[in-house]
Amino acid sequence: MAYNDALGRLTWNDLAYLTPELTLVIAAILLTLIDLALPNRFSRQTIGWLSLSGLLLSLYFVVWHMLKMNPVGGEPGAVVRLLGDSYRIDDYASLMKIIFLVGAALIVLMSLGTVKRDDELPDKGEFYTLLLPAVLGAMIMASSGDLITIFVGMELLSITTYVLVGMRKKVTIGSEAAFKYVVIGGISSAIILFGMSYLYGVTGSTNLGLIALGLQNAVSQYPAFVYIAFFFMLGGLGMKIAAAPFHAWAPDVYQGASTPVTAFLAVISKAAALAVLFRIFYNTALFDTSYFKGGAAGSLGGDVFLAMKVLAVSAMIVGTTVALRQRNMKRMLALSGVANAGYLLVPISVGIVGFHSNNMSELLFYLIAYLFMNIGAFAVLAVVSRAAGHEELSGFAGLYYRAPWTAAAMIVMILSLAGLPVTGGFFGKLFILIGAAQMKDFWIVAIMVATSVISYYFYFSVIRQMFMRTSEGGGEIWIPVPTGLAIWICVGATIALGIFPNPVLDWLNTVFSLPGDLWVR
Amino acid sequence: MDSIYSQYAWLIPLFPLVAFLIITAFGRSLRATSIMVALTGSLIALMLSILVLFEQMGSGEEFSERFTWMTIGNVQLSMGIEVTHLTSLMLVVVTLVSFLVNLYSMGYMKDDERISVFYGYIALFTFSMLGLVLSENLLTMYVFWELVGVCSFLLVGFWYTKPEARAAAKKAFIVTRIGDVGLLIAILLLFWYMPDHALDFASIKNVFDGQTGTIAEGITTLIAILIFVGAVGKSGQFPLHVWLPDAMEGPTPISALIHAATMVAAGVFLVARTYDIFEASQAAMNTVAYVGAFTAIFAATIGIAQNDIKRILAYSTVSQLGYMMMALGLGSLTGGIFHLFTHAFFKALLFLGAGSIIHAVHTQNIQEMGGLGSKMKITAWTFGIGALALSGIPPFSGFWSKDAILSTALDHNPLLFVVGLVAAFFTALYMARLFFLVFTGESRSKAHAHESPAVMTVPLIVLAVLAVLAGFVELPWSGLGFLGGWLLPGEEVVHHGSELVMVISTAVGALGIYLGWLIYVKGTISRDVVSSRVPGLVKLLERKYYMDELYHAVIVVPLRGIGQALQAVDDYIIDGVVRLTGAAAVWTGRAGIRMQNGQVQTYGLITAIGLIVLIVVIVGRRFW
Repeated sequence: MAYNDALGRLTWNDLAYLTPELTLVIAAILLTLIDLALPNRFSRQTIGWLSLSGLLLSLYFVVWHMLKMNPVGGEPGAVVRLLGDSYRIDDYASLMKIIFLVGAALIVLMSLGTVKRDDELPDKGEFYTLLLPAVLGAMIMASSGDLITIFVGMELLSITTYVLVGMRKKVTIGSEAAFKYVVIGGISSAIILFGMSYLYGVTGSTNLGLIALGLQNAVSQYPAFVYIAFFFMLGGLGMKIAAAPFHAWAPDVYQGASTPVTAFLAVISKAAALAVLFRIFYNTALFDTSYFKGGAAGSLGGDVFLAMKVLAVSAMIVGTTVALRQRNMKRMLALSGVANAGYLLVPISVGIVGFHSNNMSELLFYLIAYLFMNIGAFAVLAVVSRAAGHEELSGFAGLYYRAPWTAAAMIVMILSLAGLPVTGGFFGKLFILIGAAQMKDFWIVAIMVATSVISYYFYFSVIRQMFMRTSEGGGEIWIPVPTGLAIWICVGATIALGIFPNPVLDWLNTVFSLPGDLWVR
Repeated sequence: MDSIYSQYAWLIPLFPLVAFLIITAFGRSLRATSIMVALTGSLIALMLSILVLFEQMGSGEEFSERFTWMTIGNVQLSMGIEVTHLTSLMLVVVTLVSFLVNLYSMGYMKDDERISVFYGYIALFTFSMLGLVLSENLLTMYVFWELVGVCSFLLVGFWYTKPEARAAAKKAFIVTRIGDVGLLIAILLLFWYMPDHALDFASIKNVFDGQTGTIAEGITTLIAILIFVGAVGKSGQFPLHVWLPDAMEGPTPISALIHAATMVAAGVFLVARTYDIFEASQAAMNTVAYVGAFTAIFAATIGIAQNDIKRILAYSTVSQLGYMMMALGLGSLTGGIFHLFTHAFFKALLFLGAGSIIHAVHTQNIQEMGGLGSKMKITAWTFGIGALALSGIPPFSGFWSKDAILSTALDHNPLLFVVGLVAAFFTALYMARLFFLVFTGESRSKAHAHESPAVMTVPLIVLAVLAVLAGFVELPWSGLGFLGGWLLPGEEVVHHGSELVMVISTAVGALGIYLGWLIYVKGTISRDVVSSRVPGLVKLLERKYYMDELYHAVIVVPLRGIGQALQAVDDYIIDGVVRLTGAAAVWTGRAGIRMQNGQVQTYGLITAIGLIVLIVVIVGRRFW
């Protein structure tokens, strides 16, 4: 176990716990150098494969450490606290890191097939190199126990993704998207920072554990400031996860970015922001809810989580209804992502009582399902839009007759996105639904069900295109091997989650404990 | 000896499944390959099944294994396989007929351009049927039960350009669905009443064996009868038999595989598998016995007046399935399964023989055939063996199994014994009519008939050999009854031979054939001896007792009326609400899109306003 230095100095021994992060740092530096040194006539595929290996190596370290911390049949090991508890290696962080790394690896895998021939993306080496610090940022966010490190990780993720979005610099909508993303991203970071600064001001600490201790006092003394702190953080993070009404940027940016980058934004950026949201709010505001304080107190916590519920519900409604009228696949998936942000907010917002405390597993299960179904859908979109020459829905016309297997894969993704059995998306939504019902938040349950039903309309319009429309000269669909591999991994995982949801859920429940793994004490 | 092969019985369905996947993936372009893939898959499945059967016949232990599929609350749903003596026997029947049909279709379907699709469907069917047989609990069995129904639908409608085939496929699907609903309700009831909500056959056996009173007798009867309703649909028992003759629109090898040997026997198999429930309720047993007996005689009489060769055989199948149900209802599990076993072979043989004939003369009307015996020697001989087996003439297999049923009937219920005998007489008569009209006399066909290729005749010969030999697994004399003791280990073997029954049933069969010979060969008795005197009766039989017309008038037309009324409710009320909801969604969407104007200033503004509204609403709520 790491020695918890009172001053939070980092020792050499501690570096061993940071191997996943360090792997990415070293890989990113090395790849940058290789990219510079490698003459232009060489293909950048090598860099892509090296980037993939870096991610997998990092994943290996995370899993290895996690297995060491959770020996089969033994007592779970203690949480590693570094730098004065501002950086934590706990099961929550490790699970999130696994999600980020698996997602990033799948995105690189799918890009290996499509980016090579993408003329709109001139700096292919940079594309692969930049994904690594972006993932690193997400990992830092998940591991942080301190507002400062959280913000640092978030900015690392944001800034690299600004660049990634702007990589299609010769395409007008690409540059436009990058600009919008920078502006909106800047606003959101500013809002979050504003909220954090107030929180620091009223509690006197940036450490989440200390904030939790000081919060009671702060709430009674400076209620207005505490409210502003939490609502601004919620609003800023709401922008990062693209929950309505903070979602307006998402369709434009998703549309403008190159497809793998879009997938990255949709899955990893969103998951990282959710990870932070969960960590911050369950360390602080949760203790002000009626369950922890007893009685009718808990006005602050109750209000914050109610606001989160409102955010979730409006995200579901806006995302679903606006998606009804989209003809562009990326915009549609962006809005589907808005609706999914709403679903993902539900397990966080319903809070905890004695008989319902597996919010984390509900969130993570759906996140895992979301990862596979989204990346799979984007990968299919990447090959289909390449063949069609555009990203409109009509590019899918007659896909069943042109590429039956890819159409079948897309059906699995669509079924999962729509939340139908036997897919991971079905059980993910079901678990969230059951959780919300247990908490007696029936209005959320009703809106979840209603929006899911409405969403069938636009999800199935894709299927309708694939089967019932004939292609108007859509080109031959050619599926590069790595992309195909990514697609079928996603299909396999989605179906596996749909057939055997229980092992995953049980495992998540066993591994994760709220006090041990989430709370910074 | 432990069970070695039985442990791997789960592999058996996988081979046809893999074959199906390969064919579906690559079959469109590769015809020959897909046939080979299907053949190989079914051959491996057959060989494995034979190994399992031999092991089970030796000292192999019954084997079952399952894993938890999902846990809902404290209810566990499991999936698994179970190899018992009964299932191992069924495995061989299914894989053997399936393999032979695969082989036969190489010749029969040679010129069909969708032959690879056809092979894919057969492989899918074989997989589903094997899954049904191996299922360890009722729920997974039900899944496969529906899956074989789907395959049947696909294959009956295989030549979907023919409107009759489309109609028949639809009819088959809908009529069997009626039975399936019964089965589903039975499963739900069982789920509700069983201790721990267990649906596996072992628990069902434990609970119902000897009726320890765990479940009230009324409920037991209800469950048993609902299960039987499922069996009635699948096995074409009266009154849900109407789909089976129409299903003959499908390709003939399919009729042999699905609608003679395997799927239609699934109903009998289902009753046998849940036999303990039936044994716990005498009322249910009586229902099974009487429905079976009525179906047996009812369908046999229709068979006499039909002219389509496949329809005659279809009614014969309905009638024989009735025999099996009657045996089960009379308490003779052995009799029912024994007849299932022998019937699978000789009826598959008859269908494949009929296919060979149709292949040669391009008609299904027996009035337009004739004199084929000399031109198609192998077909004629094998068909003759099948016909004799079906007519219950010793020493062919059908005789032994029918004898087992009839002697049980004589012991328990003389009325049903008489019904069985009469049905047996009609069976012999219509088979004689069929055989003599097709194979003897003058040729009435314009086509130049010739014997079918070897891929078609070899399966005929194999099945003919089995049709002769299959009966010897259970001889009525004590000490020679192997099957009964094996199927029901430890239980008393009810079957004891009665020479009287044997003599009577042989005489009845022979009489039927002799009468047929007199009418259709010798001409001693005029063919219209009945139709000239009581034309109404013949008309009644030709029109199949007007069952289709009855259903049309009593069910289809009123249903259509109700449907139209409901349609109006749907159109104006439900649709109105739905449209309103849809319109609301679309309007919300439009409002959302209006905000989506591409201006980053607007986006920032929306965000700011959103944040302010959120704070004002949530916090302001406190001061309301």
